Order: sequence, then C-alpha cells, then structure tokens
Amino acid sequence: MASFERASPALKEILLRIYNAEKPIEVDHHLYEFGSVEYHIKSSVSEPQVTYLSISTPFLSQGVFLSYGLSPFTLKMVRQISTDVLHIVEPANDGYQLTLRLDFSKLPHNKESLNIITEVSSVQAVILSSQLKEMLQNVNSGDSSQGTYKPIKLIYHPKEPFYVIRQELIDVVSLKKWAKVPPCNWSPIPPLELRGEPFEDLSTNGGFVSFDISSHHVEGKRLDKIVWSLLNFYAYVKHHVKCTRGFIQRRMRRRLDNLVEVLEKSRVEDGQIKKVQGWKKMRKMVASKSKMIKRRWGDLGKKIKRIRFRIKIHGFARFRRRWLKMPSFSSSTGYTKLQTNGNNN
Amino acid sequence: MASTLRLYLTCIRNTLEAAMCLQNFPCQEVERHNKPEVELKTSPELLLNPVLICRNEAEKCLIETSINSLRISLKVKQADELENILAKKFLRFLSMRAEAFQVLRRKPVQGYDISFLITNYHCEELQKQKLIDFIVQFMEDIDKEISELKMSVSTRGRLVATEFLKQF
Repeated sequence: MASFERASPALKEILLRIYNAEKPIEVDHHLYEFGSVEYHIKSSVSEPQVTYLSISTPFLSQGVFLSYGLSPFTLKMVRQISTDVLHIVEPANDGYQLTLRLDFSKLPHNKESLNIITEVSSVQAVILSSQLKEMLQNVNSGDSSQGTYKPIKLIYHPKEPFYVIRQELIDVVSLKKWAKVPPCNWSPIPPLELRGEPFEDLSTNGGFVSFDISSHHVEGKRLDKIVWSLLNFYAYVKHHVKCTRGFIQRRMRRRLDNLVEVLEKSRVEDGQIKKVQGWKKMRKMVASKSKMIKRRWGDLGKKIKRIRFRIKIHGFARFRRRWLKMPSFSSSTGYTKLQTNGNNN
Repeated sequence: MASTLRLYLTCIRNTLEAAMCLQNFPCQEVERHNKPEVELKTSPELLLNPVLICRNEAEKCLIETSINSLRISLKVKQADELENILAKKFLRFLSMRAEAFQVLRRKPVQGYDISFLITNYHCEELQKQKLIDFIVQFMEDIDKEISELKMSVSTRGRLVATEFLKQF
C-alpha cells in the first residue's frame, strides 16, 4: 500500500543536518512543496542551538483563517508536537502563517530526538488535519444541529475539493468485520446535498465518493488516523490508478510481442525460393576467354623475342620492330588510340 | 459457450481460405500504380461480395475481398463499461503499432474495432495457411487478454479498497 508520510522528507533532512552538525552553521533555506506549501528555515551562528521555522500553507477551508491567525485548536495541536523543543513565535514572520522557535538543546540525546524532529517536520500535516479534526470532533460531541445540510468545502490540493456535510445518518450495521469502517458509496453524478455548489467544483469524470462518518469513528486515537486517511484519499486513488495504467501497458506490450512473433513464423523461408544466378557466371566466362587469348599471344611473342639470330643483319632490328610486332587485341571496354599524321586531309 | 466460439472461428477460417486468393493487378485508373482495390472500390468488377459473419449482436466479422487485396474487420465482444474501456485501449495500442504487424490497418473500418488489410504482396512474403492461423489466433488472444485484464483490474481494485479501509 502506498504510504503517505506526514513528515516532509526535505524539511526533516535539513533539520537533522542542523542538529547533527559538529560546528554551528549558518542556514537560510526556502523550501517549496506541492507548489503551495512554503517553509523558511533559519539558523545563525550567534544562536547555535536555536532554529526558526516559518510555514505558509493554504488552508483547507477559507473560513478557518481568523483575523488574528490560526485557530486556537490548531495552535494547541502544534504545541502538542513537543512542548519543550517547540515554541510558537508571535507574530509570525511576514508572508507566513506560523513561525516556530526550535530549541535543539532541549532534545534528548537518544533515538527519541529523531522522533521529535520527525514530528516537527510533519507540522504542515498537523495544521491541515487539525481543521478537519475540529469539524469531526463536533460530530463526536453531538454538537451538530439537526437538519444542517450546508456543505463545507475543503481544499487539500488545488482543483481537488471535498465537502463535509453534516446530517443525520442511519447507522447500518452490516458485517461485524466491517462495523468499524465508515460506509462509503460512489455515484457518477453529484449527491443531492451538493446540487447548489458551483459548477466548476462539481465537474469531474471520476464520479463522487461519499464516506459516512459517525461518532464512533472519531473516538479517541482513531480521529487522527481517520483524518489523515480522508485527507489523502484522493492522492491514494490517483497513485493506484497510475500503477494500474502502467500494469495494463506492460501487459499489452507483452501481448503485442507474442502476436508479432506468431506472424514472423509465417514468413516464407529462404530455401523455398530458387534464385537465378546464371547471368553472373556467364559474364565471368566471357571475361576470362579474352584474357586467355591475350595470355597465349603474349607467350608466343616472348618466344619469338628469345630467338637469337646467328647472323646479324644490319637494319634487321628495325625491320623486326615494324613488321614482326604482334598485333594487340582491342577489348570492348578499352579503345585504340589513332596515330595522327602531321597533315590532316 | 466455447462451442459457439469454435463454430464462429471455423466459419471465419473457411471463408478466409476461400477469399485469400489474391494476385497482382495494376490500377486500371492510373498507369504504373498498384493499389489495393478493396480500399478504393473504384472498379466494381474487381470486387467480390462482402461476407458478414455474426456470432451474436455484439461480435461480428466482415470480410471484403477484391482481386488483389482482402480486408477483415472485427467487432470484439464488450459486455460492460470496463470491457469497453479496456478493449478500446488495447486495440488502439495495437493499431498505433500497425507497422510491426504489416497486415494491420492503422484505423479500423467504421462500425468495427480493428481491421486488417492483406494484399497480394503479403501473400507472397507470408504463407497463406499461417496467415489465416495468425488471424484466428489474434481473435482468440484479444478475447483472452481483455478478460484477463478485466479480472486483474477488478482484483487490484478490491485489494486497494480493502487496504484503504483497513486503516479504519
């Protein structure tokens, strides 16, 4: 199963680097995640054990951000991460909703320090989930007024809104095994309760999934789990849709290779076709015959030249050169150069 | 159910054996051109009667023959929406890679899911019997693959949903 960790891996790495550094280091780091979450980590040499962490994150619901900052419930959740190490700085730095002062000298010198740093790195998840927790806790306390149907729009990721609708539910107990699980259903069209919402928020091609959260689903420690699961439901589905697509693509490619292999076997083999090569052999024979004739005349010429005359006749050499010279055979590819006289008549 | 499939494939095989008698025939309209007549349909005297073989309302096979080419169009069974999506996706995947198959058409004939175009040149390069075997095996493999994909996707979806709900 895809595990969506609450802690930001990049933020955790930076904080661990600052904590584990042998000498105090100067850090002024801006970090961006998901395109809308911004962190600013600042640590100076003058205050080696103190690090300032500022966070800017879009809220789930636009109505949550109060004029004086985050809601008291959210601040309480943030303080609960670690009361010794973490202090909230008020007011927050410009452009950020929350600034924290982290005192690393208060961290225990054992493995617990890693857990605390991991919890600090998940402060963005704590801020977001606290807003949904506040709403769901009202379900648990039975505070919701009956017949309240106006949906509350929450945005975890841009273009991915989800709605919380408070209403009376009929608790349907099906199998004992799934009694803890909130009932859920899917419909291709928006549920009746969302019919009044803006069109651009309701246009989708994947349909609508609804979870029925009752009071026993948000009791005690289950609240934290259920909030995180609901916030990450969309990312979870998207991840598995992509994995399924990749799986289907691999299967299709394998099947394609198998089918092509079958087709290749139906090719006509080379041995079944007789190729005619006669014309090449004929040409070779014609060329060798002329060479043979040339060779024979060459041999004869050499024999004649080797004949030694016992009687030397004055002028016979010139006669021999002119009249006893062997004729040269002209080939089809070459030509005989004509000797031109001085007069061109 | 399997017996109807056997009969359907046997009928297609016999029809292909009769139809796949192709010869080279240059284009009568344009000189020095050689075109598959079944695609152009300009000369009715070069075309044979098309044969439509239906297994049921959802599955059918259309075989159109001409003197130098043969076109086979298939409509694959799609029982529900998921099979519809998977079949469309898979057959489009194969059509986009038509050059690997040589005899596959890039775009299916209207009203069908996938089409083959076999010309006399293919019959010279490939053995006729094995080519017919390939077409029949292709039809079987498509059905099998779509069923397996559907089962995999359903199983996977069930596992994913179970894992998610276990967190509660």
